[in-house]
Amino acid sequence: MAVAAATLFAASAGAAANTNVARHWAFQPVEAVKPPEIKNTAWVKTDIDRFILARLEQHQLQPAPPADRRALIRRATFDLLGLPPTPEEVERFLADVRPDAFDRVVERLLNSPHYGERWGRHWLDVARYADNKGYVFFEEKSFPWAWTYRDYVVRAFNEDKPYNQFVLEQLAADQLDPLGDVRTLTALGFLTVGDHFSNNTHDILDDRIDVVTRGLLGLTVGCARCHDHKFDPVTMEDYYALYGVFRSCTEPMVPPAIEAPVLSETYEGFELELIRREQKLQEFVESKHRAIVQGARTRLAEYLLAAYAQRNQPSTESFMLIADKEDLNPAVIARWRAYLDRVGPAHPVWRPWLEFSTIEEGKAETHFAEQAARVQVAWTTSAPGVNPRVASAFSGAAPRSMKDVADRYAALFKSVNEQWQAALAQTAQPAPAPERLPRPEDEELRQILYGPDAPPEVPLQMDWGFLSLLPDRASQGEFQKILTSLEQWLMHGPAAPARAMVLQDLPVAYQPRVFLRGNPNRPGATVSRRFVQWLDPERRAFTKGSGRLELARAIIDPGDPLAARVFVNRIWMHHFGTGLVTTPSDFGTRSEAPSHPELLDWLAREFVQGGWRVKRLHRLIMSSAVYQQSSMAQAPPSSPSRSSTILTNGGTFIAGASNADLPAVDAENRWLGRFPRLRHDFETQRDALLAVAGQLDAQTGGPPAELSSNRRTIYTFVNRMDVPPVMTTFDFPSPSASCPQRSATTVAPQALFLMNNDSVAKAVAAVLKRAEIAGAAMISVRTERLYALFYGRPPTATDLRHAEDFLGTAPDEKLWTQYVHALLMANEFVFVD
Amino acid sequence: MTKIVSPWPSERFLSRRQMLARCGTGFGVLALGSVLDQAGLLTGPARAESAAFPLAPRAPHFTAKARRVVHLFMNGGPSQVDTFDPKPALDRYHGQPLPLNNLRTERKTGAAMRSPFKFQPYGQSGIRVSELFAKTASLHIDDMAIIRSMQAEVPNHEPSLMLMNCGDSRLPRPSMGAWITYGLGSENQNLPGFIVLCPGGYPIVSTQNWRSSFLPGAFQGTYINTQHTEIDQLIANVRNHQLTADEQRRQLDLVRALNEEHARARPQDTALEARIATFELAYRMQSEATDAFDVTRESEQTRDAYGRGTHGRQLLITRRLMERGVRFIQVWSGAGQPWDNHENLEKDHRRLAAEWDQPIAAFLADLKRRGLFEDTLVLWSGEFGRTPVAELPALNGRDHNHYGFSVWLAGGGVRGGTIYGATDEFGFRATENPVHVHDLHATILHLLGFDHERLTYRYAGRDFRLTDVSGHVVKGVVA
Repeated sequence: MAVAAATLFAASAGAAANTNVARHWAFQPVEAVKPPEIKNTAWVKTDIDRFILARLEQHQLQPAPPADRRALIRRATFDLLGLPPTPEEVERFLADVRPDAFDRVVERLLNSPHYGERWGRHWLDVARYADNKGYVFFEEKSFPWAWTYRDYVVRAFNEDKPYNQFVLEQLAADQLDPLGDVRTLTALGFLTVGDHFSNNTHDILDDRIDVVTRGLLGLTVGCARCHDHKFDPVTMEDYYALYGVFRSCTEPMVPPAIEAPVLSETYEGFELELIRREQKLQEFVESKHRAIVQGARTRLAEYLLAAYAQRNQPSTESFMLIADKEDLNPAVIARWRAYLDRVGPAHPVWRPWLEFSTIEEGKAETHFAEQAARVQVAWTTSAPGVNPRVASAFSGAAPRSMKDVADRYAALFKSVNEQWQAALAQTAQPAPAPERLPRPEDEELRQILYGPDAPPEVPLQMDWGFLSLLPDRASQGEFQKILTSLEQWLMHGPAAPARAMVLQDLPVAYQPRVFLRGNPNRPGATVSRRFVQWLDPERRAFTKGSGRLELARAIIDPGDPLAARVFVNRIWMHHFGTGLVTTPSDFGTRSEAPSHPELLDWLAREFVQGGWRVKRLHRLIMSSAVYQQSSMAQAPPSSPSRSSTILTNGGTFIAGASNADLPAVDAENRWLGRFPRLRHDFETQRDALLAVAGQLDAQTGGPPAELSSNRRTIYTFVNRMDVPPVMTTFDFPSPSASCPQRSATTVAPQALFLMNNDSVAKAVAAVLKRAEIAGAAMISVRTERLYALFYGRPPTATDLRHAEDFLGTAPDEKLWTQYVHALLMANEFVFVD
Repeated sequence: MTKIVSPWPSERFLSRRQMLARCGTGFGVLALGSVLDQAGLLTGPARAESAAFPLAPRAPHFTAKARRVVHLFMNGGPSQVDTFDPKPALDRYHGQPLPLNNLRTERKTGAAMRSPFKFQPYGQSGIRVSELFAKTASLHIDDMAIIRSMQAEVPNHEPSLMLMNCGDSRLPRPSMGAWITYGLGSENQNLPGFIVLCPGGYPIVSTQNWRSSFLPGAFQGTYINTQHTEIDQLIANVRNHQLTADEQRRQLDLVRALNEEHARARPQDTALEARIATFELAYRMQSEATDAFDVTRESEQTRDAYGRGTHGRQLLITRRLMERGVRFIQVWSGAGQPWDNHENLEKDHRRLAAEWDQPIAAFLADLKRRGLFEDTLVLWSGEFGRTPVAELPALNGRDHNHYGFSVWLAGGGVRGGTIYGATDEFGFRATENPVHVHDLHATILHLLGFDHERLTYRYAGRDFRLTDVSGHVVKGVVA
């Protein structure tokens, strides 16, 4: 499919289409790749190793020897669970002489409920997960049920849900057969847990487009909001095709419950009250909306004049405005103004208006009439295209002012509106309601009041966005009261069930148009709701509702070159610290080529053919020699010395290609001639500390906990407005947008936290209270147990000497506390070989 | 698990080795050398890549005078026609409609409202400033460049704060302080590079004002509630409550010994060595930070000069942080939006300005005395200004105004005694040489030695910058 697309696209579309794009590796179909032939066949455990070894051999490098068993179980446990192995687990593995001992470890870890907590958290970075909305006005600021999505993700990994199903559910769970589990609906949180951007609809949709395209496809479609993508084959049409999909969806104020209610009087009371409060909100919003739309039709002269008065003033489209109750609605003025701006000078209804508008104001009234008469002559004689009713309204005496012009238009529309209302009223019940007025000149006018783009047809938003249509303080206050009452009841009413943060399709799908320069008030060409043209050159329009399900199916179509590649690269990245592609959410033409392109394709194909099973992928990777090799650099400690290295322009060291110089030749370890040593991220540092302290609360799932609790970090409240400084300090990513990969900085406040924070001191105290630690009085025994607990190994003679030097002969509790604290601050506790 | 990767596209910044190789060019190199020396990092080859030290000093694109920034943020929106943009025409129309349509702002506005404050010329430049900032103007006007033609995009606080701080009204983008710290690093590894002082809590939209967004977290502003005077409450984790300094030193010596033993078996791992160094830095940070925030170490005379109020203390702390090499310090008026005087403007503006005027005058004088003024860029701004017409129904307050407002710059590289741009006769809209916030940002980056189009960060397939796709350096305010 993609190959055909290349030529088709190049032939049809704009600047981005060129041969570079057509040849770009990521846009080629995933080919069946044969693992390469290599020399050192003895090293190879899986086909993955052939790809790795081929590169190493090409660079005249050799892989490292296998990691020892202690390193291996520690690596695997942190990798899959984000927790340290217990001393017993280490010992059991050391004692297991069976050839598949390590496979058994991997299997045990994959079956642990903590596995989903670890790998689910990786996915939550992509999903820009947070427990609140970001800055919003009068509404509830938290997402009371974001955690149901977090739990869904954890469960999906634990249950080894095939990735294609995972994608389908996250985009369209509401349109799938739930197979008896309504909790599946919580998957839609992927779309809905994003920032609310002060309830700017377009920004919310932009965020959804972004998380879907970068998160699932490695395509940066967001760039095409205002112009075609500069480098990748993504056009504005593509952007607005997807915009149309998400614009055709809504978040219900009362989302579906995911727990079967325990039927009781309390629950019935809850339901009844809920219905009452929901109705109240609905009635309020609908009556306000009706009033706005009615007013927009009946106060037409005023709106026209308001739009006219603003014509040379700066646009107020993106303002939040406050008005009085009886004032014209600023949003409707903005709609009229934008409408009159875009109809064009030859519009059969508006041409007179636009031409009268050019007459200079502020002069004597006679001046206007004189000029108006001249204008009138010009268009009545030379322009037969003017609507006859409009022409006749201006055929007599020339208007004396713009107010006069507006009044004549208003009279015209009033009469047409009456005609229309009469037509509707006369229709006898069984007969279908009329669809138009019979005479074209009437219908043309009616369209301006009722047509799809008609300025009075202000869209009705039942959700929070409705606030933007209520500019007066009194209505805002009323709205806030009614809304809060519903929100509070939903969250805290007696027996209130947890709910899924769903999206639902609107009854009538939205017909997207390109917004010129990204401006919603400048709609351009109509586009259909569809997939990105590059990936579906036939540009097949989605036909079912919003098209979310069709979009999801297109993304996971095995012919799509991106989804599987992007996902296996993410998995690889979390195992090895770096992806085969180093820009995990951008596979576009400006991304770096993969280090091992054939391996990437081979993995992607294996993954799809293996039923998109993530655990299978873990097994495949972890059973390979490249995963199981040592992380130790092969250079002897004494060399290379400063004098033996040569500084080149690029700042890299050049030396002989012997094994001893491996770290110098491949300083970044791009070819994986050793396992990369990895530092714990924030969650793992915190969780490991709690684990060795024996304090880790094993409870899984549920509403978010405090950071000061003993729950695993994934379960603590993620505050989008104010990420706790300790989390930022340890590189927890901003949840303002999808995060492809965390940065890893080393800054003094990290050390300061470990040195002085009370939570660390508490963990240290708890370690010393552990039975096996408290029960060992001798320095050597206690040190041995601490080393087993923290580092998974016995102390060396040097370690013991350090302990004795520090502790003296009869250490008190205080010295022990300082010692244990030191062990927990040491590098060995936060780095994994 | 995370591999240590450089947060910088390597081609854009000098690597440490490159910097050392070019030793002697630019201030950053020496500072870096001393930092690494302090940290004991110059003992082996190929150590400590920049990723390990995101705050290591870096050279800008070209030589510039200013090397640090102080942003005095008058949040809520100070009125330009009552401070730096005199409009005598308002006196004539006071209580009457202006002879032009009022531009649409957040709320409904009515008749013209004259300034209740007296203006007079100051200094050799003879620039007229209102009595609200008489002390600042009388001492420093000839060193200030007032931009009277500022423009933002909308008349609402939230998006305008975002625009002024992060260069975009709505979308999540890094703050100016984060960009500048990313660009220049910091000259003190014992303190955060970007510090935000605000007494009593957060301003509107809270920490978004100083976020790092997609830049690494190390560039985010560190918030300090200057309402407090106790060091523990000012900086997180800066003190250990269990150990004496000697005990902690001994403990860290043990950590270091364990780490060295660990590293011996794992040679040439810069990530390990970087983390070892952070404990030394953190140890020193405890005393350094305590010192920096302890204004009681200043003479009584100095403290009196700055004034004993919150802003005097904030600005003294600011100067002490600057002396210690902190790159970007943002000082706010207070929690919420103090300058948002929709009513009782005369009373409230007078009170707010009185809280600031003397501290600012003393601060700038102190910088001049200590030789810090030449290489510090001081920016005074709100997120927008206020309308020259009164907000309805009363005649005693002003609405938000993004169409035209004033900010001023002073210090390194700024052309002093300058008025740039102008608003219309009434101070409603910038009419002469309008300066968009993007232009202000471009100018600030220019004064620090950056081409704003080249200070970029690759994210989501695009090279982002503070000025988005706009911005022109306002040459008129550059010396």
